[in-house]
This record gives sequence, C-alpha cells and structure tokens, in this order.
Amino acid sequence: MNERCAKTLTIMLALPALLLPAACLLYILFKGIPALDWAMLSGSSQDAAFGSISALWPQITGSLLLMLGACLLAAPVALGGTLFYALAANIRQRKALLGIMHLLVGIPPIVYGLCGLIVLVHMLHWGISLLTGMVILAVIILPMLLMNSVNAIKRIPSEKTAAARALGLSNGQLIRRVWLPAAWPALMTGLLLGMARALSETAPILFTATVFSGVSWPDSLFSPVTSLQTHLFYLAQEGANAEAVDIAWASAVILIILVTALSFGASALRNIRMNG
Amino acid sequence: MLNLWMRTSALISLLVVVVMLGFLLQQSWPYWQHDGLNPLLSGDWYPYEHLFGLAAAIIGSFWAALIALAIAIPTGLAAAVMSTEILPGPWRSLMRSGMELLAGIPSVVYGLLGLWILLPLLQSNLHLLTGHNLLAAGLLLSVMVLPTIMVMTQDALCEVSSHQRDTAASLGMGWSARLWRVLLPQAWPGIRSGILLALGRALGETMAVMLVVGSMDRIPDPWYNLLAPAQTLTSRIGREIGESAFGSMHFSALMACGLLLALITITISMLAHIRSDKISVNRP
Repeated sequence: MNERCAKTLTIMLALPALLLPAACLLYILFKGIPALDWAMLSGSSQDAAFGSISALWPQITGSLLLMLGACLLAAPVALGGTLFYALAANIRQRKALLGIMHLLVGIPPIVYGLCGLIVLVHMLHWGISLLTGMVILAVIILPMLLMNSVNAIKRIPSEKTAAARALGLSNGQLIRRVWLPAAWPALMTGLLLGMARALSETAPILFTATVFSGVSWPDSLFSPVTSLQTHLFYLAQEGANAEAVDIAWASAVILIILVTALSFGASALRNIRMNG
Repeated sequence: MLNLWMRTSALISLLVVVVMLGFLLQQSWPYWQHDGLNPLLSGDWYPYEHLFGLAAAIIGSFWAALIALAIAIPTGLAAAVMSTEILPGPWRSLMRSGMELLAGIPSVVYGLLGLWILLPLLQSNLHLLTGHNLLAAGLLLSVMVLPTIMVMTQDALCEVSSHQRDTAASLGMGWSARLWRVLLPQAWPGIRSGILLALGRALGETMAVMLVVGSMDRIPDPWYNLLAPAQTLTSRIGREIGESAFGSMHFSALMACGLLLALITITISMLAHIRSDKISVNRP
C-alpha cells in the first residue's frame, strides 16, 4: 500500500468523526431554536398540569438546583479526600483511595440511581425528593472531582511545598498560602466539568428525584422537582403530540447551551493555568 | 479539625463503595436464592408470571456494545491518526474540540436524536415495522463512545517519543509501515484502555438506549437478527423500576440486573486501569 493510498483510506474512515459533531449540533439547533423561541415566550405555567405547553423555567431551575446541591455536597468531600491523599496517607492508602475512585468511575450512573432508590428513598424514607437527587449526583461526580484535584495538587512543584515546610508553615497555612493559590484554576476546572456532568446525567434521577409535572418550585428538600433532562425524556416519547416534541428539542438546546457554557468556562480556566 | 475533615472524607469515599455494593447484593439476594444462577441462561422475563430470566437482556447489552465498538474503533483510530499524523497543529485542536463537544452532549439528547432521526431512517430504508432495534442502539452508542476512543488514542499517539519516530524514519520506513510497525504498537496500551473504557460506557449507557431499543424481552432469533425490538440490562432497569414494588421479587430481579451490570463494568474498568499502570511503570 503506498503512502497516498493509506492516507486517503485513513481520512475516509475518519470522516464520520469530522462531520458528526457539526452535524449533530447543527441539527439540534435547527430543530430546537424555532421551538425555543415559542416555548419560552408564549409559555405560561397555566397548563403545567400536562407540562407540554408551558415555559421551561421550572425545569431549568430544577436542573440547576440539583446541580448546585450535588456540587455543594461533593466538593468538600473531594477536597478533604485530596488533602488526605496529599498530607496524611501512606502509599498503601493512596493506592487504595485511587483504586476506589477508578472503581466508582467505572460504575454506570443508573446503578447509582438503584442504590439511591434502595438506601435513600426506601430505607431512609426521604422519598422521591430533591435531596435524594442531590446526594446521588454528588456521589456520581465525586470520583471525577477527587481525581482531578489530586492531579492538581500533584502538579504543584515539590520545591514550593518543600520551601513552605522549611519556613515552618503548618498544614493549614501550607494549604491556604501555597497550594490553593497555585492550584485554584485546576480545582475550578474540575468543579465546572463536574457541574456539566451533573447537569447531563438523566438515568439516576429519573426514578429518584424528579416527576414529570405538577411542580414549579420544590417546597423543601424533601419534595420532588422537575428537571430539564427528565422533562426532555418524557416529551421525546410523546410521538403523537408534535408540540411536545418541539419542546423536547427546545429543552435539548437549553441543556446543551448550559453544558457547553460550563465546559467553555473550564477550558478558559485551563488556559489561565497554562499562561500563568 | 483539618485531620478530622480529611479522614472523614476518605472514609466517605470508602463507605460509598461498600454501601452501594452491599445493598445491591442484599436487595437482590432473594432473587439469587430463589433460582441460583439458572436465570442467567433463561430468556423468559415475565414479571407477572414470576419468570425472571436475564439472558435476553445480557445478550442485548453485549450485542449493542459490540456493534458500537465495531463502528467506533476503526473510526476513532482513523480520526486520531489523522489528527496527530496527517493534519497540521491547529486542525488537531479543532478536531479535539469537536470530540469534546460530542462527548459533552447529554445522553438523553442522543436519545432524542436517535428517536426522531435514526429510527425513521432505519424504518424506511430497511422496510421494518418499527425502527426500534439493537442496530439502532448500537449505532447511537457508537457515536457516544467515539470521543472516548478517539481522545485516548490521540493521547497515546502523542506520547510515542519523537526518538522512535526519527529512528523509524531513518530506517526508511514508509508512512504506513511506520504507523503499523511503530506508532500503533507503541500506543497500544493507551488505545486498549480507551477501548475498554468505551466498552464499559456502552454497556452502562441508559437513556439513549432505552429510547431506541424497543424494550421487548426476546433473545434475538436467529442470534444475528439485530432488526427486531430487544432489551438491554440498562433499558430494562430504566423501564421497569418505576412499576416494581419495593421488596417484591420483581424489584429484587431488577437489583440483580443492576448488580450484574456493576460487576461487569467494574471488571472492565479495573482491567483498563491495571494494565495501563503496569505498562507505564515498565516503560523507561
């Protein structure tokens, strides 16, 4: 096989990878943007009983609430675990901690949903609620956050830490004065990616946190919410109702805009880190 | 105070694993006790007649993942080779951004795309009664796992040292010989990790598969018939968990599906990580 032939073959094989991202995105925007306009502007929550002709605000706030709650729960644990890894653990414990995280990353989200259903919904009697969803999503993004922040701390030059130690800084001072200033862009990058992940997970909250309709703002942590992801799932199957499908496309556009904004934020921070 | 926080966090991470696997096992225990491992071989799943055979869903899951990999591996490898070995620098990062974009699209949106584009296409082109089938699930999954394979391969190819590239070039090896004899073998550990991660992802993917697979509990008949509605482990859990009562045998059987899924995917991801660790240690 001569060189030109091999290269052409490679490019032919790779074509789907080149075209698919643009094609998917354009098609979603093409279907969603006309519907988006209509759904957002003319929408009112009077028909929220069925959920098809209504503004998408309750779903958006529900999704954002779930996402923020998950991050608030997962971030302190991830940071604590990272500090344990960096300051207190011996080699065996370090290996065990990373091993556990690799294990958790491998488990499909729906299994987290099942465990949440058993433990949180049924055994702790939290019911189908906002809090259940937050905890499940927090556990899902925990390994991501932890592995990311462990990498961020590892990337700090060891001279910096050694110099801080030589100056007699305590653990707390070391973290506040040396590690956080050096690692914050990387930590924030991880957090933003975690938020994007929490926003796009659907299966684990489908039967543990959300209902299709009837909720515009959750009264408490123990009441169910509606979310953009699950709303999209239900509407997508309303084949007989063209309006419902239109709104599903609109929800898809909103969801993609939110997720992309978060990942753009993450790559912007990554660039700060590289330049700084 | 700091110490307490650190240790509690590490403990929480450990507890999550123990609690999850423990309760899955506990809840699915009545199911395993009832029939032992027999249901793994039986394809009959009729909750109302207390028949809970898992074979149809297991076969469905593997078929869908297999189709996905069969399409995504060649495409992903070619795309990675193209971006690192053929295209100049700026294009490389453009392709990478494209892949990150594809990876960022939520799975339920893929489900929507599959349901309203892929299914009508399959239905009209193959003259089927319904487009819901394993082929549709596999095609959709191939798009979803493509970024994993492509990005991991790209990283692995970039890590092959320039020393080896130069040596290969100085030996007068042509482009394709260099690719097959030097680059791909050197990058293979990374590529394999990517493939294994993609396989785990494909087996565990729920929303997109659930929307297009048809959710009918049948073992493909004959075994290569991918054009009939079928079921995967994830789609069964997703479809039926809402209607099963907590503590019933049906619930227990669904938990068994979950446990099985967790064990399979844990094994796959452990394989991916253990092997890649070992090889990176041995490398000079």
